[in-house]
Amino acid sequence: MANENEFTGADILLKALKDQEVDTIFGYPGGAVLPIYDAIFGQNFLKHVLVRQEAGAVHAAEGYARSSGKVGVLLVTSGPGVTNVVTGLTDALMDSIPIVCISGQVPSHLIGTDAFQECDTTGITRPCTKHNYLVKDVSKLSETIHEAFKIASSGRPGPVLIDIPKDVQFAKSKYISKKDISFREHRIKAGSKKVDKNFVEELVNHIKKSERPIFYVGGGCLNSGHEASQELIKLVNKTNIPITTTLHGLGCFPGEDKSSLGMLGMHGNYEANLAMNKCDLMINVGARFDDRVTGRLDAFSPDSIKFHIDIDQSSINKNVKVNFHTNTDIALTLKEINSFIDSNSIDFGDKDYNNWWGQINEWRKKECLHYEQGDEVIKPQHAISRLYELTKQKDTFVTTEVGQHQMWAAQYYKFSKPNRWITSGGLGTMGFGMPAAVGAQMANPDSLVIDIAGEASFLMNIQEIATAVQYKLPIKIFILNNEYMGMVRQWQELLHGSRYSESYVDALPDFKKLAESFNAVGVRAKNISELDDTINEMISVDRPVIADIWVDKKENCFPMIPSGAAHHEMLLSKYDKENPENQEKGKVLV
Amino acid sequence: MSSTSVYPTPINAFKQSKRSVLSVIVDNEPGILARIVGLFSGRGYNIEALNVTVVDVKKNLSRITIETLGEEKVISQIIAQLEKLVPVHSATNLANLSESYEAEICLIKIEFENDEQDQKILNFADIYRSRTVQKRQNIVVYEISGTSERINKFLDDLDTIGGIKVELVRSGPIGLGI
Repeated sequence: MANENEFTGADILLKALKDQEVDTIFGYPGGAVLPIYDAIFGQNFLKHVLVRQEAGAVHAAEGYARSSGKVGVLLVTSGPGVTNVVTGLTDALMDSIPIVCISGQVPSHLIGTDAFQECDTTGITRPCTKHNYLVKDVSKLSETIHEAFKIASSGRPGPVLIDIPKDVQFAKSKYISKKDISFREHRIKAGSKKVDKNFVEELVNHIKKSERPIFYVGGGCLNSGHEASQELIKLVNKTNIPITTTLHGLGCFPGEDKSSLGMLGMHGNYEANLAMNKCDLMINVGARFDDRVTGRLDAFSPDSIKFHIDIDQSSINKNVKVNFHTNTDIALTLKEINSFIDSNSIDFGDKDYNNWWGQINEWRKKECLHYEQGDEVIKPQHAISRLYELTKQKDTFVTTEVGQHQMWAAQYYKFSKPNRWITSGGLGTMGFGMPAAVGAQMANPDSLVIDIAGEASFLMNIQEIATAVQYKLPIKIFILNNEYMGMVRQWQELLHGSRYSESYVDALPDFKKLAESFNAVGVRAKNISELDDTINEMISVDRPVIADIWVDKKENCFPMIPSGAAHHEMLLSKYDKENPENQEKGKVLV
Repeated sequence: MSSTSVYPTPINAFKQSKRSVLSVIVDNEPGILARIVGLFSGRGYNIEALNVTVVDVKKNLSRITIETLGEEKVISQIIAQLEKLVPVHSATNLANLSESYEAEICLIKIEFENDEQDQKILNFADIYRSRTVQKRQNIVVYEISGTSERINKFLDDLDTIGGIKVELVRSGPIGLGI
């Protein structure tokens, strides 16, 4: 007897997605998810984007999530379908991106029999998800999906996977809606909503006492939402304290503001790293003291009192011991700091940190991002600078692949708003940028979405061009083509006697023809005289475009703190020679 | 709590390593043990001993006791990482409590050859108040409980008797804050 209050597992999944206001799902069908695909066929609230390989689905979901602030969702089949998303799940875990991955599993009675396309999905993805589930009972499905969305987006966000055996997709049960679920608090780990007043007071007192303070802002500020960024801007304006951001913090504070020292870390600005090294008060807002940021730990900002705001308890005192910390949401904490300053009429007017800014301006005179653009060959830095100038008036999102082009993009493209910069930081996943651009364009159909790419990274997920073409997503792939895995070559040059072992990319395709064969548009700039026209053409075409920009093959990314060196031991250009002792130590690091 | 690790451990290899006993309350659900063990192996922490049992059937809770070695900084990081796991209710370092009690249970099967050995075994068993579970002609099985250190000492003493065969199982320490 069919009960009309009962639905199949596949229908329950669709109902739950609707309940969660999901409007886009990235996926690839296969045997173990056919019932779900059948349910997708019969509805119209959910737009399914068919990727060309599952890795594309997970990075697209990441791009969608980062650019929209919503949870990104993907659907893949069992076995190879799900093993293909392991990299992307790890990427989302490292960079705290909220995504929910639905995977099909072989029918329950076949689990453990080495069935066709069976793998231990929850076992494989356990260390690369925030949480995962194998749903064996259809009556638990609604609750599991709602909890998954809650966990993915709460506290420090991250990827959650739900593995659903095929028989569970057919089995029937009642649907429980989101509003009827009461979450168990210990499982959600949302972090404290109560601001630590003591922390706020200590911080304000230390700001008053300090001579050389600095804000060090990371991706946590981004994840705390736009309000966090607005409160941060208010606080910086009030206090006149210099601010530097990590790779993921770019955009939390306007990059062109006078208080911004730009990005810090391995390829960060000279003034930012020196200021971190010499500061007497460090205010860490949602950053995790990553090795790319700290350089050699024993020489990291030796004389500073350190304050740390982070929703993730395990980020506190993990790499660097701090003096004061709070685990409360950043937006709430910054808001409280601002209102504490206002309500106590604390005026920082006389505290203008003149000497500190004087020192910083001396460091700025080094012009660490200076490059010489000649008359012929395009310098990669120049290509990004022109791209920025020609697109900054537009509503633009930038994704990247991983390598030199990524660092140049971070250095020369300035962001004034959060969520506009989508890059793979923690894991450093080559092939991330193009599918991420697909996701960002799905979430922002009217915006300009550019993937700043290297030719080697682009080749890693090149199949997703077809996805962009199929869904008429006018993404722009801006390739800085130097025919090398540039960052690998740079390290080989610095640390391995210029023995360029396997870092030259031979037999490259003709990217213009390649674009045309996919029914996309290909453009090319071979020298400086063609650059602006090529960029303008790329922007003006309302179709997916691959722009093949031929850049100087030997250019390296500076400034650079070599691995194992400290902030004040930066290399500013190729004329700087590295200390040989550091070189040996650095060689064994990553 | 002064007992040391139950297994011979190169203490010097761990700079300022301290033995800690962690008590973790978790939802009893599939995969929870794998999550915890995976966290330890993935992040390079040590598990010296591990004990898992359901402690509240109604609320479906298990208590996991983990004996680990590490600097204080590492132990705090382990606790923070454990508390991030979704099914984990709480993770406590018993050493941080003002008062806690620790115990372990051990079953020992001893095969001996002569009366002299039998007498010595009996003597040690008496000193350590171990309970006889089973005794046959030349085999005796004892149950001993107490701190891990006490059990270690009992085993060390048995070691001084030559020519006996010992087979044993230990629960690993369990502990409770008071």
